[in-house]
Amino acid sequence: MARAGTNLRTSYLESNEVLRRPYQKVLVGLILVAAVLLPGGSSDYFLHLINLCLLACIGALGLMMLTGFCGQISLGHAAFLAIGAFTTVILTVHLKLPFIVVVPAAAVTGAMIGFLVGLPSLRFRGVYLAISTLAMHYAIIFVATTYQAKFSASASAGITIPDPTIGPLKISGAPTWYYFLLVLLTFITIGCVNLVRTRPGRAWMAIRDRDIAAEALGINLTRYKLLAFMLSATLASVSGSLMAYYSNVVTVEAYTLDLAVIYVAMIIVGGMGSILGGLMGAFFITLLPYGIEHLFEFLPRAWRFGSTVFGVQVGAVGVCIILFLLLEPKGLAEIWRRTETYFDRWPFRYRPLDTTRR
Amino acid sequence: MEFVATVVILTCTYALLAAGIVILYKAGRVVNFAHGEIAIVGGYVFYSSGMMFSGGEMSPWLAVLGAIVFSVIMGAFIYATMMRRVVGEPFYVAILVTVGIAIVLKSAIIVIWRAQHLTIDVGIAPAIRLAGGATLSYMDVASVALTIAFFIALYLFFTFTRLGVQFRGTAENPLLASQRGVNVNLVLSLAWIIAVLAATLSGVLYGGRAFLSTESVTIGLAGLTAALVGGLDSLRGAVIGAFVVALAQYLTVRLIDPVLSEALPFLILLVVMSIRPWGLFGTVEELDRV
Amino acid sequence: MTALLEVRQLEVVYNRVATAIQGVSLEVPEGSIVALVGTNGAGKTTTMRAISGFLPSEDAEITDGEITLRGERINGRMPHQLAKAGVILVPERDKVFSTLSVQENLAFAGREGGAITIERIHGYFPLLRERGTQLAGYLSGGEKQMLAIGMALLCRPTLLLIDEMSMGLAPIVIKDLMEKLQQISRELNLTVLLVEQNAKAALSIADHGYVMESGRVVFTGKAAELMTHPDVREFYLGGAGQAENKSYRDIKQYRRKRRWWG
Repeated sequence: MARAGTNLRTSYLESNEVLRRPYQKVLVGLILVAAVLLPGGSSDYFLHLINLCLLACIGALGLMMLTGFCGQISLGHAAFLAIGAFTTVILTVHLKLPFIVVVPAAAVTGAMIGFLVGLPSLRFRGVYLAISTLAMHYAIIFVATTYQAKFSASASAGITIPDPTIGPLKISGAPTWYYFLLVLLTFITIGCVNLVRTRPGRAWMAIRDRDIAAEALGINLTRYKLLAFMLSATLASVSGSLMAYYSNVVTVEAYTLDLAVIYVAMIIVGGMGSILGGLMGAFFITLLPYGIEHLFEFLPRAWRFGSTVFGVQVGAVGVCIILFLLLEPKGLAEIWRRTETYFDRWPFRYRPLDTTRR
Repeated sequence: MEFVATVVILTCTYALLAAGIVILYKAGRVVNFAHGEIAIVGGYVFYSSGMMFSGGEMSPWLAVLGAIVFSVIMGAFIYATMMRRVVGEPFYVAILVTVGIAIVLKSAIIVIWRAQHLTIDVGIAPAIRLAGGATLSYMDVASVALTIAFFIALYLFFTFTRLGVQFRGTAENPLLASQRGVNVNLVLSLAWIIAVLAATLSGVLYGGRAFLSTESVTIGLAGLTAALVGGLDSLRGAVIGAFVVALAQYLTVRLIDPVLSEALPFLILLVVMSIRPWGLFGTVEELDRV
Repeated sequence: MTALLEVRQLEVVYNRVATAIQGVSLEVPEGSIVALVGTNGAGKTTTMRAISGFLPSEDAEITDGEITLRGERINGRMPHQLAKAGVILVPERDKVFSTLSVQENLAFAGREGGAITIERIHGYFPLLRERGTQLAGYLSGGEKQMLAIGMALLCRPTLLLIDEMSMGLAPIVIKDLMEKLQQISRELNLTVLLVEQNAKAALSIADHGYVMESGRVVFTGKAAELMTHPDVREFYLGGAGQAENKSYRDIKQYRRKRRWWG
């Protein structure tokens, strides 16, 4: 049967479909079913890793919106996470507010800080903007450090946070957290997908590709750049807040510049400008250090390699960034797309038209 | 006196880093976020090659040789394998590749040198005592002299030699330069080698005064700030910027709070960027080019 | 006698999909001035880029044909290698280093022991001596062009390629520059390939001319013959008075077929 090519779209509605091909719907359905059934057959440790991935996904989607779609490069993502975590600390430890209030409050705080951090983007582009977000990172972390020095029991211990409760339900233990995060992430992903295929998303992409041209087309640069920063900071802040609840401890030492770079690595490895890429990258980079640790366990007398393992875990992220940027700039999402095209066209060989330089 | 000595040495450290960043920016429109890491790794290499054959006694000549060999190999390697390929890609690719290099170098410090805290002590002669209880080692004096010599050499190179003029031309318009018979790859590799050399010298200077460790890579960010304060495309600005940052940092540690000193370069940066984003001596149009 | 530069059946494709020129053949004899004229998008600049080795930087490649310099194949060489071999391009824009002074611009290329010295360049363009210490970025369009030609001459060209020399210049300046170029070419026995939209100016000093349209060479002949040719006059020199005909292609399909290919 002749099939209309996957690139042939005959109406606006059609071009706006998220899952264009039937098997994609099946695939997404299968993944969701598998995700729901997952806790049944896996250990708590495995679920713990997956939970970390899901938390990272929320943060990575935030950065993807900002950098991948709006083209505003940010090295301040760790600071946004810290904002969420420290808002949580202040609201739970001092004010004893419940979970259901704290997380939205963290989101709002994140949005406000995102607005502030986004202000320089109205004046700077490119490298200068990256450096200004770096400066913001240090400013925010300095405030957090001062706060922690004042209120934590000992300087290095951090601040403990109790398990959250929603009404009678206490969220604790890997499986409960898993379902909670899964539902949340599903909603956030759907929200992001819809955002990027409607007006804000198209405005962001126009700004990313050429901001002057976008402005000439009547896109309000101020509004959409700030919107991107606010959304990014909101998602990061929610992620940071949940991370604080999940790990029951907040310490400023966790929010280093390296963490910001790790988030940047996620969107590079996943593929700039792709939501699927953001999710894939978050999983990849989060699991990478654990994978390396397990690889080292195969070596004889593994305990001898303590600091080497740590070093390799750090370095692997850098190697991933460099290799993906130079060899596969569109990341895992592009690899997935190629695989898809290959099977879609099978048995015919098909080299997609590629006008980007390689 | 101690105040002057510290600020002068800190200024030299930052000025060398800033000069490297400025050279790389001028040559290829790349802002190198890995400069601090390169400097610290250079310091470690200096130390290790000095210690290599002489069991506990540092051999300065071997150390210098090791540092130079490291600079040439490192600079040429970074350019040939990575930075040569980012030309024409979106701007973030170049920045993020340098961020990747920074992480890899940091991990090298952990894996190769076990992240140990090292203070470089060449041990040529006892320290000079200055009035007011300050000490100044011969290595400090030598490094400051080297820094000044480096800047004079750079000035002479760029103004009077043919290669220097070709270098400036290549920085402005690589396409035309290659048409006029300049091997652009050679010139840009040279830029990286000079920048890495300056960074290594700065790492040695820092390692002699304070210590080398994975945390001390933040000097790269101070150097970046110095470069931006002075203007990303101005070598003269790099020195002035370095002085501003060094002075401010010293005063903060002394008078206000040591914790603030890490964030301080960035606070200076925020102020400068909101008032005069192109820096003290930078070109205004540069803002639009990145 | 074989020509200094020969281009045979050249085909260039951009991004692996868009064919810019096809079957282009040119001959540039030693010591002559050859003009390559045509409208925008005719493929003149692409031809020039192919000769000077700049195609890879634009993601274009030569898919067919060959370019020879003194019988030696030169396609696919790097620009700086070609420059060493004597193929010197004066590009359309960004033709001088605007952050260097005029002297430095000239010194950039000048090598000792060549037949062409900086003094000689100063002789041709006395203005460059006066403006020696000025930054090249502050020169006027015509002065920049002089400096660019001076720089190119100092690179010891065997073949000088000039892209759109008349671009953005006043007619009187163009006339002046063209005459200077003719004088230089005669005195130094220099081979020049001029790529021009301004067909009148280019053909007035050229020995030989090629007319390009839609990626092909559609007419070739002695420059003097081209100047008097009715079709060329009509469409490139603006002389024959049929102003309502917008393009050659619009109405003269049959005549072109008959006259140029049939």
